[in-house]
Amino acid sequence: MPWLNMTIFIPFLFALLVPFIYKKFTPKIHTGWFVLVVPILIFIYLLTYIPAISNGKFIHSSLPWIPSYGINFTTYIDGLSLIFGLLITGIGTLVVLYSIFYLSKHREALNNFYVYLLLFMGAMLGLVFSDNVLVLYVFWELTSISSLLLIAYWYEREKSRYGAQKSMLITIFGGLAMLAGFIMLSIITDTYSIREMFTKVDSIVSHSLFLPAMLLVLLGAFTKSAQFPFSIWLPDAMEAPTPISAYLHSATMVKAGIYLVARMTPIFGGTAEWFWIVSGIGLITLLYGSVNAVRQTDLKALLAYSTISQLGLIMSLLGIGSAAMYFGIGDESEVYTVAILAAIFHLINHSTFKGCLFMVVGIIDHETGTRDIRKLGGLMNLMPVSFTLTIIGTFAMAGLPPFNGFLSKEMFLTAVLNVSQMSVFNMESLGSLFPIVAWIASIFTFVYSMILVFKTFRGKYRPERLEKKVHEAPIGMLLPPIVLASLVIGIFFFPNILSNYLLKPAVASILPSLAMGGEIYVKKISAWHGWNTELYMTIGIVVFGTLLYIYLRKWIRIYLFYPQSMTLNNMYNSGMEKSEDLFQSITNRYMTGSIRDYLVYIFAFIIFIIGGALWLLDGISFDHSQDASISVYEGGIVISMVISAVAVLLSNSRLTSIVAVGALGLLVSFLFVLFRAPDLALTQLVVETVTTALFLLCFYHLPQLRKEISKVRFKATNAIISIGVGVVVTIFALSVNGTKLFDSISSFYENSYELAGAQNIVNAILVDFRGIDTMLEILVLAIAGIGVYTLIKLRLSGGDENEGTK
Amino acid sequence: MNNLIILPIIIPIIAGLLMVIFKKSIKFQRILSIFAIVSTGAVAVILINQISKDGIQILHLGGWKAPFGVSMVADMFATILILVTSIVAVCCLLFAFQSIGEKREAYYFYPLFLFLITGVNGSFMTGDIFNLFVCFEVMLVSSYVLISLGGTKIQLRASIQYILINVISSFLFLVAIAFLYAMTGTLNFAHLAQRVAEVGQDGLLTTVAILLLIVFSLKAGLFLFYWLPGSYSAPPTAISAIFAALLTKVGIYAIIRTFYLIFYHEPQITHLLIGILAAITMVLGAIGAVAYGDINRILTYNVIVGVGFILAGVATLSVEGITGSLYYLIHDMIVKALIFLLGGTVIHLTGTSKLNEFSGLIRLHPQLGWMFFIAALSLSGIPPLSGFLGKVFITEGTFVTGYFWLGGIGLLTSLMVLYSIMKIFINGFWGYTVLTEETEKGTTKGLMLPIGILTALTIALGLGSEGIQTYVDLATQTLMNPEIYIRAVLGIK
Repeated sequence: MPWLNMTIFIPFLFALLVPFIYKKFTPKIHTGWFVLVVPILIFIYLLTYIPAISNGKFIHSSLPWIPSYGINFTTYIDGLSLIFGLLITGIGTLVVLYSIFYLSKHREALNNFYVYLLLFMGAMLGLVFSDNVLVLYVFWELTSISSLLLIAYWYEREKSRYGAQKSMLITIFGGLAMLAGFIMLSIITDTYSIREMFTKVDSIVSHSLFLPAMLLVLLGAFTKSAQFPFSIWLPDAMEAPTPISAYLHSATMVKAGIYLVARMTPIFGGTAEWFWIVSGIGLITLLYGSVNAVRQTDLKALLAYSTISQLGLIMSLLGIGSAAMYFGIGDESEVYTVAILAAIFHLINHSTFKGCLFMVVGIIDHETGTRDIRKLGGLMNLMPVSFTLTIIGTFAMAGLPPFNGFLSKEMFLTAVLNVSQMSVFNMESLGSLFPIVAWIASIFTFVYSMILVFKTFRGKYRPERLEKKVHEAPIGMLLPPIVLASLVIGIFFFPNILSNYLLKPAVASILPSLAMGGEIYVKKISAWHGWNTELYMTIGIVVFGTLLYIYLRKWIRIYLFYPQSMTLNNMYNSGMEKSEDLFQSITNRYMTGSIRDYLVYIFAFIIFIIGGALWLLDGISFDHSQDASISVYEGGIVISMVISAVAVLLSNSRLTSIVAVGALGLLVSFLFVLFRAPDLALTQLVVETVTTALFLLCFYHLPQLRKEISKVRFKATNAIISIGVGVVVTIFALSVNGTKLFDSISSFYENSYELAGAQNIVNAILVDFRGIDTMLEILVLAIAGIGVYTLIKLRLSGGDENEGTK
Repeated sequence: MNNLIILPIIIPIIAGLLMVIFKKSIKFQRILSIFAIVSTGAVAVILINQISKDGIQILHLGGWKAPFGVSMVADMFATILILVTSIVAVCCLLFAFQSIGEKREAYYFYPLFLFLITGVNGSFMTGDIFNLFVCFEVMLVSSYVLISLGGTKIQLRASIQYILINVISSFLFLVAIAFLYAMTGTLNFAHLAQRVAEVGQDGLLTTVAILLLIVFSLKAGLFLFYWLPGSYSAPPTAISAIFAALLTKVGIYAIIRTFYLIFYHEPQITHLLIGILAAITMVLGAIGAVAYGDINRILTYNVIVGVGFILAGVATLSVEGITGSLYYLIHDMIVKALIFLLGGTVIHLTGTSKLNEFSGLIRLHPQLGWMFFIAALSLSGIPPLSGFLGKVFITEGTFVTGYFWLGGIGLLTSLMVLYSIMKIFINGFWGYTVLTEETEKGTTKGLMLPIGILTALTIALGLGSEGIQTYVDLATQTLMNPEIYIRAVLGIK
């Protein structure tokens, strides 16, 4: 098995061991210490790929899964997937370390926690390294499922379950859409391999399924990356333990959608639709997230909305950058290439500062017992380290120097400014919206960043509102955020090391058509470009942001004017509730439980479909040329049959009905006599006699038949349906009777004496030619006999419910 | 000629009749029933190997060559289904040992169960449309008795509906056979196929085909499924599980057989109709599954969704679509039995089927809970479980043939399926544990084995699809080329 594929399986295999480890070592050693080995090893292993990847190489290996259908577990390392791989395992290591201190080994079900976590880690690694779209989808759904399990880790809480269900519905819905998109792509290109699809871009773009496939794939990406309006699941996902929020719901899983968009850029990029949808939805999400983050009172909810907003930012950068493919190699595309660079750069930066912030919020929650901003305040002196870490994280988020967020934020502003000057894709008219939206959203970002730091750490310390006595967290818990915070600063000072080794190869793999021999030209990242528009915009953000923060109390009420019922979340809730009611009333409407109704449906369907088919397909044809003439006797018998049939319907007593039914049967046997089939006539006679006698015996015990009183409409429906069925079947039968396409095989049986030694052809057919039918029909009678016997003898007590219910 | 073919039909009959004689000895009945089903499974395995080596296996009963006698035809499609039937049946039997109760055991539960399997196997194997009717009867009469076995109020009420509707559909089947025979003069599938192909499928023949479709739809629960939710939730779990796994599948089998072998000449009418009915079935089934908070209802409506989805692939008349349908059919037989057994166990434990009356089962029953979770994912085709490949291919089939709406509905309803089943998991297994070991109404003792086997199967089939690929492809190939079947049965070189 290739090493790389093996690596992806390690977390799954280790997950199998976790329950045993947990059982053996708890409560002596925290299970997390064992688990920690997994991400560390994989992280180191992935680091060894950096030299090769930064030289523009790709590494790929394949493991057959269902090779007959071309579904293989093919892995592929390029710049893009390597960055994700490092993030997954790097942040994963820190998160596991953090969780060891966050989750008590005495109280928590650590086995569940780490099984889910490893499941997720393996799935996420599989997702980013898979080349086969179906395998990618497999891992995609696995991440959704492990996320579901982790959100509901504290499954006794109602909110956890609610959040889990919501995230499942939305992300799996997106996953299904993506699957449909992938299937369309595979139909167009006749391959499941993404790399092979890259070579067939021309046929994809010109195909009629291009747009549907694109929209469906984007639906997957947007739901997973919590883009507007699918973002509603992310705030509720915060019910998960904080290490999970830091890991899945800010650093890795929610970036799967970003990954997908980046990965699919070579296929869809360069078209106006892709450009507009990706950058447009990204910008809307950016604004929506930042505006909503400001009004949150729960620290984690604030971070959730902030994550939504930042994901929108990265998404919009990918959209803007895709324009580079339109322009092709040349100076014009360069400004858009920078946007891709900024996207990847900000992706890493966001993982570092947001991971750090989540961990600090977890610490605050852990030490104070609450995450409510209204209860917190004045923690600066009590938790100095946490305070410093928060400052680093939030300032990076707000886009201030000397933190890495400043660099990528500036690049983002450059990108939106450049794109507003673009002359294609109808940008002439709407282009100026880009920088305006970006700027407004950035101001709100600044405001909520300030709220996060100052409402928590400044102000008055109010111990009476807190459940616990506050002190600084243990070093083990602080270590992971410290590592991340130092990265935040380190990246600011040495961005180009990162850029050369990781970012550039990633940009090259997102824009392969612009890369020459795996190399792509990107500008150096620098903190200072002189006094340009971006810098003025940043200064504006700081000034307006500070003003808004200071006067927060005065204007925060504006949010109250927005009607609660119009929030996306409420629409989701009431939509779910209403659809359940609607579905119930639909189902109750036709599933009445009345057999009469069901028969009406069935017969109406027969009239409609069979009648319609006869009519439309020209099936009706009456050809009587082959028929024998009808004698007086036959006519008389048939008329009598009709009369006795109608008599059954009209009679008011059971006795009359039985007699009429018996008469009908006898008349049939007369017909057999007329057609010279005496043995059939005899059989029929016996059957009729016996059944009539049995009926009489049974009905003696039944009460008088009551006159059915029912509405005219009810009866009219019955009449129409029954007459309709009769007419349709009669027409059908007459048509069939006139259309003999072949001679029957029955002539074969005519010399039954020679074939089977039987003089009676009917007997020969029954017991020899088609003996199996007779044997099985005898079995049917035997079973029916058993049935009657059990019905009489076995009467278990049981009411209206299935007896499983007691 | 291959005499093995008759064994899957004859073994359960003989075993069942022996049990009727030795009514008193329950232990003997248990052992014999398992033995009989396992040996039909073994026969199916042998046949599968023979078919993959030498092609379709035929048995002309009584030596009367087709089309004059009744021919039994073991092609890959039918034989795979017989194997899966045996597996599912063994699991349901194991479940019944612990749960069906002494009374029912003493009153012919095991023979009836075996007669049901006889009918199912016969329906799969027969090459004659009238014999198909007879096999249907064997299966149906057994199911009538099984559904009413015990005579509780709910069972009697359900069986009245079930019997009435099935008797009507049997009558319609007979009418359709008579019409078909009047026009073509033959009953043998291969011969029918040959003759219909020869004259072309005119309007009247197409109408007869549609009448057959209505008959099979009634059995399969395609659109005409009104009888299904009531009847499947009335009998004890082991019985409703085998019903859910097998009975509708026989109808689906008959639809595939008829519309891939005989009436495939006017797909824009017949197959489009199947597609439309499949779409409505999926939607109504999914709506019903989501609507209620009652385990029995959720599960029975899921049976309906599954039927619609399989037939969506069938409607495409494409290699991708039918490949998907076959994979999904195999998957659905296993996972429907599994989810019914799981649901039955939950009801057994809690004494209620209403979701708002219990919660937190996972604390005391983690294994049951996780198997339920896996089954729930598998049911909606989440990878890498057994439903995935079928779902992909059915969707691909609908897209390739331009039935985008059909594929779209299939995917959307699979989400609703997931929601409906996860509702049981989230509300029933998660949340506060309200029942203690003392207040539980039953135990899971002995019930976990069959559930475990089926869970393992759904995982194994998902991860190891490659293992059955050659067989499914062979079945598809035969279905897509009716000539192969016709030549084999009629002995044309």
